[in-house]
Amino acid sequence: MNHGAQDISIISLAIGFLILLIPIFILIHFKIKIIKDLAISLLRMTLQLSLVGIYLEVIFRINNLWINLVWIIAMILVTAWTSIKRVKLNFKKYFFPISLAVLISLFITDLFFIGTIIRPTYLFDARYLIPISGMILGNSLNHNIVGMSTYLDAFRNKKELYYFILTNSGSRKLALEPFIREAIIKALNPLIAGMSVMGLISLPGMMTGQILGGSSPATAIKYQIMIMIAIFTGCFFSLILSLVFANKRLFDKFGNLSHN
Amino acid sequence: MIKIYNIYLSFDDKVIFKNFSAKISKNEHVCFSGQSGKGKSTLLKIIQAYVIPQNGEIKINGIALTPENVKYLRGLMSYVPQNVNLPVENLTDLISLIGAKNYEKNIFELLEFLKISHKEALKPFDKLSGGEKQRIIIACCLSLNKQIILMDEPTSGLDNESLNIIIDLVKNLKNKTIVSVSHNPIWLKSCDKVIEL
Repeated sequence: MNHGAQDISIISLAIGFLILLIPIFILIHFKIKIIKDLAISLLRMTLQLSLVGIYLEVIFRINNLWINLVWIIAMILVTAWTSIKRVKLNFKKYFFPISLAVLISLFITDLFFIGTIIRPTYLFDARYLIPISGMILGNSLNHNIVGMSTYLDAFRNKKELYYFILTNSGSRKLALEPFIREAIIKALNPLIAGMSVMGLISLPGMMTGQILGGSSPATAIKYQIMIMIAIFTGCFFSLILSLVFANKRLFDKFGNLSHN
Repeated sequence: MIKIYNIYLSFDDKVIFKNFSAKISKNEHVCFSGQSGKGKSTLLKIIQAYVIPQNGEIKINGIALTPENVKYLRGLMSYVPQNVNLPVENLTDLISLIGAKNYEKNIFELLEFLKISHKEALKPFDKLSGGEKQRIIIACCLSLNKQIILMDEPTSGLDNESLNIIIDLVKNLKNKTIVSVSHNPIWLKSCDKVIEL
């Protein structure tokens, strides 16, 4: 059982948009002013996904090691750039350490999951490398933003605790521990909660996609379990390494949180 | 000995210290007093290098408080914060946070002196009064047996009985240099020297 999903014609896809007229009518009726945002989002989504469709078609067809790697590097840099922008860190100071953290975490997770679990004939096969890396990076981005923001906010709001531990213990490692702990809990809790109800409340998109694409439910489920573990591991490594690498620049030479 | 030489510190155009100097001799208890906003707590942070003055110098035991020496010098100090509502669940957590597991015996001895029973001390912090938390934090900090003890408003939230117990405890400490910040007249009387800011 490995026949592709039924294709959707462009006209059918356009008809699919028509159902949105009902919520838009209700939004107008209740004067809820989100129609402009909705229209922009729909347009952006359609454009972005169409472009992704085109370049993935090309990348999958060429399936060249260097093109695949350049693509992955581009995804890593965008992930690091977006994290820094959202956490409002100094771009010059943090772009390199955060990019390095994302690169190392992706390298470890990809090598383990693609290299030893899936074991495709060709390790750098675009069909596996790009979507799996994309899922890990997309999730790492969200959880990195939550984790880093929590970490910085905790320092701003609980300076007294940091001073108290640092002076009394004399250890910077001990003084950082509660803040790192808080960042990890806040960042990874939603992922852990999501895993625990997977299949009960929601059917994951990747699994649904695979089934529609012709894979058997058993294969789709195995892939889904594997990708969830890969996402969790990738997010964990990415956050820990981002915190460790950023720490070197977050603090001044006296060990105090630097102002930028 | 702690020497503060000619420090200048301002925040957002507000001058906190201008050419301020002070000397705290070894094994002396000096208290900085004065109205709020005069920089009393900031001074304790300056001694720990958490606030760096724009000008001036701090020397502890003759060693300048520079980035190279900060770890060693902070290692000589113990700090009792003003705010006792630290985000900590209980004494066990507090001990683990500051790595004081080896000082547990000391902590419970000090707590006994401070009239806090073993059972009481192990209660969750949200079930304790401000005064009880204050005494627990003081016991933890003093148990570390550091050479310099910095105390920021150590009497806040204490009734007179607890205040006198803490004064007794601090007076009995041997070979300690104590720098405190307070405007409590009973506490000020118990110090060797009071510096008005």
